[in-house]
Amino acid sequence: MYVFELLRPAVRPLPSPCRRSVGVMTVAAALMATALAQQAQTPAQDIVFKNATVMTASHGTIEHGAVWVHAGKIAGVGATVSAPAGAAVVDATGMWLTPGIIDPHSHSALDSDVNEATSPVTPSMHMIDAFDNRDKALYQALAGGVTTELLLHGSANMIGGQAVVIKNKVGLDRDAMLFPNAPGSIKFASGENPKRVYGGRNQLPSTRMGNFEVMRQAFEDAKEYMATQDAYNAKVAKGDKDAVPPKRDLKLEALADVLRGKLYVQIHCYRADEFLTEEAIAHEYGYKIRAFHHALEMYKVADKIALENTAIATFSDWWGFKDEAWDAIPWNAVMSMRKGVRVALKSDSNDHIRRLNQEAGKMVHYGGATEDEAIRMITLNPAWIIGVDQQTGSIDVGKDADLVLWNQDPLSTYARARKVYIDGDLFFDSSLPGLGTPHFSGVMHGDSEEGSDDGEDGQ
Amino acid sequence: MKKLLLAAVLLALCSGVHLGRLSAEEAAHNVIAITGGKLLTVSHGTIENGVLVMADGKIAAVGEAGKVSVPKGAQVVDARGMIVYPGLIDPETNFGLIEIESDQNSRDLAEPSDEIMPHMHVADAFHAETELIPVARLNGITNAVVAPASADTIAGQDIFIQLAGADRDAMILGRDVALAMNYGADQRRRGAGHAEFPSTRMGLITQLRQTFLDVQDYIARRDAAAAKKDDSAASKKDDAAAKKDDAKKDDKAEKPFKRDLKLEALIPYLKGERPVVIGVYEGYDIETIMGLAQEFHLKVVLNHVTHSQEILDKIAAWKVPVIVGSIYDFPRANERFDAVYTLPAELAKRGVKIAISSADAGGPVSSHSSRNLPYAAGFAVAYGLPYDEALKAITLNVAEMFGFGDKLGSLDVGKTANVVVANGDPLDVRTDVKQVYIQGVAVPMVTRQTKLRDEYSK
Repeated sequence: MYVFELLRPAVRPLPSPCRRSVGVMTVAAALMATALAQQAQTPAQDIVFKNATVMTASHGTIEHGAVWVHAGKIAGVGATVSAPAGAAVVDATGMWLTPGIIDPHSHSALDSDVNEATSPVTPSMHMIDAFDNRDKALYQALAGGVTTELLLHGSANMIGGQAVVIKNKVGLDRDAMLFPNAPGSIKFASGENPKRVYGGRNQLPSTRMGNFEVMRQAFEDAKEYMATQDAYNAKVAKGDKDAVPPKRDLKLEALADVLRGKLYVQIHCYRADEFLTEEAIAHEYGYKIRAFHHALEMYKVADKIALENTAIATFSDWWGFKDEAWDAIPWNAVMSMRKGVRVALKSDSNDHIRRLNQEAGKMVHYGGATEDEAIRMITLNPAWIIGVDQQTGSIDVGKDADLVLWNQDPLSTYARARKVYIDGDLFFDSSLPGLGTPHFSGVMHGDSEEGSDDGEDGQ
Repeated sequence: MKKLLLAAVLLALCSGVHLGRLSAEEAAHNVIAITGGKLLTVSHGTIENGVLVMADGKIAAVGEAGKVSVPKGAQVVDARGMIVYPGLIDPETNFGLIEIESDQNSRDLAEPSDEIMPHMHVADAFHAETELIPVARLNGITNAVVAPASADTIAGQDIFIQLAGADRDAMILGRDVALAMNYGADQRRRGAGHAEFPSTRMGLITQLRQTFLDVQDYIARRDAAAAKKDDSAASKKDDAAAKKDDAKKDDKAEKPFKRDLKLEALIPYLKGERPVVIGVYEGYDIETIMGLAQEFHLKVVLNHVTHSQEILDKIAAWKVPVIVGSIYDFPRANERFDAVYTLPAELAKRGVKIAISSADAGGPVSSHSSRNLPYAAGFAVAYGLPYDEALKAITLNVAEMFGFGDKLGSLDVGKTANVVVANGDPLDVRTDVKQVYIQGVAVPMVTRQTKLRDEYSK
């Protein structure tokens, strides 16, 4: 099954020449033998989870519910399902079944190559080029129920690099871990980090004024580039055989993709005033902001941002690590949600990614989220931020069978992930000896412990 | 619950308690009876329908409903459906030594100019008005150890605090209660600008051993000087011969004994009078530093022990208490994901007295996260630690390790009335703390953060 997936481009073709897709094809062919070896144990075609407390994330919780998985997709969910007689049965009595946890803000498995902090505008960086699929952080997150991650560029630059979306299939080769057909995202930043990094070198930007002006200038450059391209295309369309193609510039092409709406814009941003400035600039240049990340002061302007249909990916209760995190309150997520903002919780940490379910549980405490609302913050809502909510993030028929079986209510402190399935295949089973990874028995890498772009070394 | 909240508000208004700063009178003249709640006593089990009476800042009575009488005139707090437990104690924080992590001006965490800094007293830097304290208190933390950061092998001396009080002096319950030591790779001075001894573990240990020998020598010289002073005082009417004798001796002997604050600071610890908390992560480092500690008969509390899975039996045999922290520290590559999560359970199983700290992974202490202390204990339960042991690890055990076992850490008559009322299991992330009492006074459940919440909820 994975072999077939490998033969498809693993990411949605980029607007720029498809070097990545072509690369995937080549790698796929070369690694087919490896993939076959890894897939020696073919996953069951049909699996039925019976008698579970099913938290669907999209349509409530079903007590004593059943979920039928067929060929890696969810084929049925409800009080009963009509699975074939030969289906493998998982007796989930006393257990909880949720969609796989989705982290919309991770810097795991990048071997510390989080920031190309050599210029405040680096949109042509691709995080996939730093992705180390043998990093232990992936395994540790998997054991906490994480099935999908958005691996982002850091926050040193006003306009950083392009993210990679992975399915956490620990043990498979790099390209088999890429989320098929996931849209592209680009990381922007604002506030303290860019001004500290470049101000510290006596370069622009060293203030928030400088920050935003650097952005505007970049988009002006991109507009000129686009105009040159358009002029050339118009000449070609008229049949002008002497038209000279303009020189390609990877940086400006990436910025043009932002202005053409081809990339989801994910912005590291803390302060209320900066959300407003970012939205104003987005309007000025005609792109949409998919989500503000961190967004610790969203509770102050949530009603305005809700109108923009911009989501947030926030911490549950981190605060006080820097000036712009001083007004952070643990009620931020729920207060913003009540004002109509789509809210996800995220880790930005190799530590917290292992227990995002508890971070969601805290939302019951801080602001009185319902369990449905809380579970959505780590499943369906982050899926929307990444743009993969049609494929994953809830237990609905037709979606990928990314599922976690828990020994207790996942929102409690005591919950442990028993089994984690991705595309219907078992990737973690805590009852197995050793690592508990049916697809992995090799050697992990393990440096870059923090996995944050915003720690004390935060760049 | 409304009654309880109302009571808290009224009390706050009537007594003029401001942001948890209690005056001595406020602490002394309240009699409060919490009735109908489920009491987790920590020391003597659970009482399903209990009564807890607080008077004069102390726990005056605790027991089953009907067996404990509510004193006349007592303010009664209806805690039906609530869980009542002793205030939580965080065994390692930086409260008052840091405000905003990235702001150097707010940081008084450690003095890294030398590895041996026992004469750094946390009490001298403790900023009692820090915003971090009310934030932690809101989740039921009532006491804490404040320690310097781990930059040095000997970083300084801890204080033991109460998370409310009129001022610094009212909040510091004990100065210099423990010596903060650290050993391992992090304390080495490496890299550019560090070409001085010690730059290796061998160097660190040698330096520590020499320091401890210097202290022993210092004690001997100090005692000899004191004895000599006594002698000369006793025989003031000296004869000429003795004077001649003295004159022959080293000139130094005539000088007054000069105190050495650094060496003097270590004396109570080398005499085994107070605990030495040693932060150490790796099994082999633990064995090395324990060897040194035993050589000098230190009263050890081990801290962290993150990668000690191979020597757990040895740790148990040493009969030293352990602060496990952080339970969220990362396993090594290729270790099972729960290698550290299971550490509290594995230690407790072997009879080790454990405490659990609030630290996040990747750093020794993150005091902004102190409010998450109960969840770390709960996570240890998820990975095999018996519930009662987990609660003890953030209450009574901590009190005992730092010399406050007779005053704090359990719901027992005579102890300080630091009591928490919550709407559910204290170790569960979903539980909301409804009221915190410190020295028998309801602390207003207000922080800078609740004020922001309320301001923007209008």
